[in-house]
Amino acid sequence: MATRDSLSGTEPSLRDRLRFARQSVGERLPTPGEGIVGYLFLLPAFLLFGIFLAFPIVYTFYLSFFRFEGVGNDTLLWIDTGFFSYRLTSIADLRFIGLENYIAMFSDTLFHQALFNTTFILVVQVPLMVALALLFAVALDASFVRLRGVFRTVLALPVSANLVAYSTVFLLMMQDAGLINYVLTSIGLPAIPWLTSSFWSRMTIVGAVTWRWTGYNMIILLAGLQNIPQQLYEAAEIDGATRIQKFRYVTVPQLRPVLLFVFVTSTIGTFKLFSEPVIINGGGAPLDSTITIVQYIYQTAFIDFRLGYASALTYVLIGVVSVLSAIQLNVGGESDA
Amino acid sequence: MSGITLDTVRKEFGSGEEAVLAVEDVDLEIEDGEFLVLVGPSGCGKTTTLRCIAGLEDVTSGRILFGDRDVTEFRARERDVAMVFQNYALYPHMDVRDNIGFGLKLSTQQSAAEIDQQVEDVAAMLGIEDLLDDKPKELSGGQQQRVALGRAIVRDPAAFLMDEPLSNLDAKLRSQMRTELQTLQHDLDVTTVYVTHDQTEAMAMGDRIAVMNDGRLQQVGTAEEVYRSPVNEFVADFIGSPSINVFDATVDGSRLDGPGGFTYHLSDASPVEDLDTVRVGIRPEDITLVDDGIPMVANVLEPMGNENFLYTTLGDHDITARIDPTKRPQPDETVEFAFEESALYLFDPDTGDALKTKDDGEIPDRGADTDARPSETDEALEEAIE
Repeated sequence: MATRDSLSGTEPSLRDRLRFARQSVGERLPTPGEGIVGYLFLLPAFLLFGIFLAFPIVYTFYLSFFRFEGVGNDTLLWIDTGFFSYRLTSIADLRFIGLENYIAMFSDTLFHQALFNTTFILVVQVPLMVALALLFAVALDASFVRLRGVFRTVLALPVSANLVAYSTVFLLMMQDAGLINYVLTSIGLPAIPWLTSSFWSRMTIVGAVTWRWTGYNMIILLAGLQNIPQQLYEAAEIDGATRIQKFRYVTVPQLRPVLLFVFVTSTIGTFKLFSEPVIINGGGAPLDSTITIVQYIYQTAFIDFRLGYASALTYVLIGVVSVLSAIQLNVGGESDA
Repeated sequence: MSGITLDTVRKEFGSGEEAVLAVEDVDLEIEDGEFLVLVGPSGCGKTTTLRCIAGLEDVTSGRILFGDRDVTEFRARERDVAMVFQNYALYPHMDVRDNIGFGLKLSTQQSAAEIDQQVEDVAAMLGIEDLLDDKPKELSGGQQQRVALGRAIVRDPAAFLMDEPLSNLDAKLRSQMRTELQTLQHDLDVTTVYVTHDQTEAMAMGDRIAVMNDGRLQQVGTAEEVYRSPVNEFVADFIGSPSINVFDATVDGSRLDGPGGFTYHLSDASPVEDLDTVRVGIRPEDITLVDDGIPMVANVLEPMGNENFLYTTLGDHDITARIDPTKRPQPDETVEFAFEESALYLFDPDTGDALKTKDDGEIPDRGADTDARPSETDEALEEAIE
């Protein structure tokens, strides 16, 4: 009884009981910061990502199994309140054709040509550019180079050039009677049909892309070079390594992750090549010899309005790039550093 | 194998107005097979001197000779030296086998099998034969240290150059590696230049010690010489742990008056003739507590087990004493101390040059048992075997 008395004697007031109830409810709800509120703050980003990235990616895949037959007119949702009416139509009139788009690619010679052009540019341009970028980076990293900042800026400047502007300048320089041929002929070399020959027009694109991206890759490689501990070079020097051996046994292995990054991003970049060939085609280069995959996709989608086929092409491009990147990562990425 | 001679070696960084003098006209002769320790505080130029010997830095003036060969203009890789770096500088992308064999691969015509055999021999000597296929990042600090040593040893170079190779190890491993290094050097009999800022390491390891300060070579000598007969106050202060106690005293004939009522009558006043003041130095181990000596106030007692370090105040000066472990003065207790005149150091107050050093003719007991040198122990061992 005494126990009970002591308990009932301290019967909490209504105010205390309310406070207790409020507290226990509050404890059971997710507290701000670890729950709902956090997601609310993330929502705008998720929304933008969803609408402009995730949905197109998924919808493109969906499209690739259909034939596009014009803008949609089917009503999906109709709200009519008397004051205003709203009608949501389907995006497109589509006809399901299964794998036909993918099968069609096997007999599409222009696609094969685009694939060949892109691969050709890739095989010539990426190694050339990476080698040049590495050369510049090593040169700028050397202690005896003066005015390092100026050179670095000049080399990196092309990255900031407007795509159309620089392509146009290249187009002008590469004309039959343009600056480059003027220089070539004035030193006694034959003029080169930079834009009219199918081989040389591809080379023009290689030159333009290399000019634009070498500096960018050089900056990345330079950062990588500067991260290599100086003592490794000193140890190699003591071990009897020549300059070339130091490059071979210290620089290259130490730079491997960075080189890999440069190779993979450059490969992806080349597969996405678009503006340069478009401008240079526009300047009279033979279309067939310079058309790239993305340019072909663009034509298919937005000039021929074959959205389904373009979507299928896009997925094939993604597949090719993914496989290539995976191979590069596997070959070059054995972790060791 | 050869000795190394530095002939007025000077190294300046930068040029013109902004030139920084790192090494000032160092003359040093290192004998064939000698273990020479370059010791000094941070920024004293010891590492720069080592790097000049290695060929990693060009000297501004002066000459460096290996034996009779002038190597001043040689690149590092032409000098046939091996170096152990403070952070080991192992090649992260190579396994231990390749790290050790790299120098051989580059500098000799030997076949891969021959190189491999040598690598394995060296690895066995260092007890790292099980680690040959590991990458450096998989190794502990001590193991990396051994790989770095292996890389140096396998080349069989004219000289080993070591730049604070033990400073990244914990205290226990450091003293273990210290002994191993000495034994190795003794067995291989290769001229070794070893840089450290740790005077205990220098005392324990070096056949001779070269003390540097401010780019200048202060003194070269055996551990005993630099301890007992330092040429100046800097060397006296740098060598010995805890450091020597030094304070100003005024000279009045043969009487020295120091802080806190310190008074001492020199039996031989010749070193302080013509001087008004003098710097008085007493090593902590030369101080004995007595009943009727010079009074000072005890502050802190650090028991070391075999002895006690007593930190006291003499006037406004801190005095450290190494005393018997049975004596435990309480804080603020006044204790009285005495010392032998033969153990007294006197330094010129202006130049810091030593006027008088220890001349008690024998090594103090404590010095002998803490600084036991391996060569001595080896000799003792050999005698025992005979």
